Amino acid sequence: MLDGGGRALALPAIPYPNVERGSAVRRDSVYAADVIVVGTGAGGATTAAALAAMGHDVLMVEEGDLHRTESFTTDPPTMLGRLYRDAGTSLIFGTPPILFAEGKCVGGSTVINGGMCWRTPDFVLDRWDREHRIPDVSPRAMQPWFEAAERILHVESNDERTWGRHSRSFADGAAKLGWPTRVNPRNMDRCVGLNNCALGCPTGAKQSMLVTEVPRALRHGARLLAQARVEKILFSGSRAIGVRGHLVGDNDRPTYRFEARAPLVVLAAGARHTPGLMMRSRLRSAALGRNLRTHPNAKVVGVFDEPLDPWIGAHQTHQIHHFLEDGILMACAAVPPGILAMGTPGLAAEHAARMRRYNHLMTAATLVEDTGEGRVRLGPDRQPVMSFRLSSQDVETIHRGVALTAQVLFSAGARSVWLPFAHLPEIHSVDELAKIETLLRKPGKIELMTVHIMGSARMSRDGGDGVVDPSGLVHGVTGLAVADASLFPSSIGVNPQETIVALALRNAERIAATLTRPKALRAQAASSVPAAERVPATASGVGR
Amino acid sequence: MTAGDPADQPRLLGRGSERILRACMTAIRPRGSGFDQPVDDDVLLGVDRYLSSLPPLLRVGMPLGMRLLEYGPPLFAKPRRWTTFSRLPREEQLAYFSGWLHAGGLRGNLALGLRTVIYLVFYQHPEVLASLGVDWEGRARDLVQERAALLAQRAQAGPASGRRGDDA
Repeated sequence: MLDGGGRALALPAIPYPNVERGSAVRRDSVYAADVIVVGTGAGGATTAAALAAMGHDVLMVEEGDLHRTESFTTDPPTMLGRLYRDAGTSLIFGTPPILFAEGKCVGGSTVINGGMCWRTPDFVLDRWDREHRIPDVSPRAMQPWFEAAERILHVESNDERTWGRHSRSFADGAAKLGWPTRVNPRNMDRCVGLNNCALGCPTGAKQSMLVTEVPRALRHGARLLAQARVEKILFSGSRAIGVRGHLVGDNDRPTYRFEARAPLVVLAAGARHTPGLMMRSRLRSAALGRNLRTHPNAKVVGVFDEPLDPWIGAHQTHQIHHFLEDGILMACAAVPPGILAMGTPGLAAEHAARMRRYNHLMTAATLVEDTGEGRVRLGPDRQPVMSFRLSSQDVETIHRGVALTAQVLFSAGARSVWLPFAHLPEIHSVDELAKIETLLRKPGKIELMTVHIMGSARMSRDGGDGVVDPSGLVHGVTGLAVADASLFPSSIGVNPQETIVALALRNAERIAATLTRPKALRAQAASSVPAAERVPATASGVGR
Repeated sequence: MTAGDPADQPRLLGRGSERILRACMTAIRPRGSGFDQPVDDDVLLGVDRYLSSLPPLLRVGMPLGMRLLEYGPPLFAKPRRWTTFSRLPREEQLAYFSGWLHAGGLRGNLALGLRTVIYLVFYQHPEVLASLGVDWEGRARDLVQERAALLAQRAQAGPASGRRGDDA
């Protein structure tokens, strides 16, 4: 971000020592460490920092590039290309297809999320405890881990001065209905309410992994290899001994090969790529790639007579949790005109007439705690492909959630409401809400998107119905763990960032316990690398 | 963004695809309601830059799909037309594109993808944002400075007011 004269503004720069970018490497390379962490999102960076702080030699391997806060802009096409996987065009196949977005950069999806930090609801933890028989995940057992996660994430609520008119109006609408709103706890440090969260925070206020746990891990001596695409986990018998893949250039195309060896490999590449990587590495488990959950989101837009200026004010300040136990969460969030236009109906003059009212629009959404089941499989190009089937209960919950959200918007004063149903695109009064109730249930006619996926390598007591044990270690394999939302036993119904961090902290200590005599194991791992391929200590910023 | 800047020249689309993309823009670009800014060249460059960051399968598939759109009127236009999409009159282009959008399947997805990217880039153009009264960039500049000042104040106040969770 530059000022009007092109000079960099004076935000304190964060040092990133021990970083090597794949595009700068001009040969095949081999690395050795105590621990390799694949992915630098909420789970990966937290695990890396925790293990590095314990004194282990950690190598973080990240497919995306290191984009510093100073490089963030407010231009969606530019930032979608830089920070998002597939430039934000990923899809979960099914009826309907669900548009999916995740980060692909150092810091992972924490760089592009809204920063909402909610503890896993107690009723979800109770379910994990009772139905899935996962030990030490009861609300009481998890409390210290949530507290630790909130310290790391620097969780606080937005100052009221940063609330936008649209946020206040949404909260007022809920209050008139007698539905309490909750102010979002968010990971931020003196947020000034710019609302550029989804494109990377140029003020540096959002405490994403890019500005918290990644630099902390590096300060504790961890190394970061960015622009490095892991393609396979290496095994010796049933023990994981490292990873192999390709470095990528600035154009995202593969260049040189790399291999990294360590007695412990932690996968934190997200609920799509973590199981994909395990499948490509020929790991077999009946539950691998199954149980994918997607938190389907349905957008509901209110059209108001008075201006709401939705581009002014913090990203998302309130949520309605009143129907959380019914699987429904509601919120409103401001989005830039270009992003809103993507999903606004109409073409040419019709589209223009709708978008002309941009400053009078309130974009709300309902997030559903899904019960349907999705899968991750390998496609013909050996990349993981997701599919998801809404259950009939999900379809009902989405319709109810949309109706409740529309009710909030009408209560807030909306003149009309745009719905996510192709066969009922708009309603004009609260009396027409009944049309949603009687609407023919056609899943293919619902427009859905999501930014949360989970459950595709879930925790279980034994290997029969899960992939990892309650500590995140993969059943039947030594030296391999998972530390992202893949390991959730079920959908959680709220933003998953804090749950991922809390579980990563909880599991880091357990994983570390498997690393006895780390120096000796590191030497053992290094000795398995042919001498000619070893990176000399002075060869790069990473090798040591 | 300026069309003359070599760094902004199209990187993915060849001349044929560019012609088809321009026809799509002519057909569906927002019109009236204060959205008649002469920004089509800039939008074309922005769309091209965005398309070049798509995954490999889409980078290959998108130009192929655009060829199908271009040569499709004899098959898909209602009534059938023995010409190319880019040579149709604007109103017919709009009706033909709209038919693709609602066709579902691969045709629907392609039209939806093109529509999505064109509108994303169009509505973020500085002139279009200005016409909406939106100054996101200017606000960002101000707020980055505001937060820098807040951090400077805190640094002056001393380490006791430092952030939580930082072990540095």
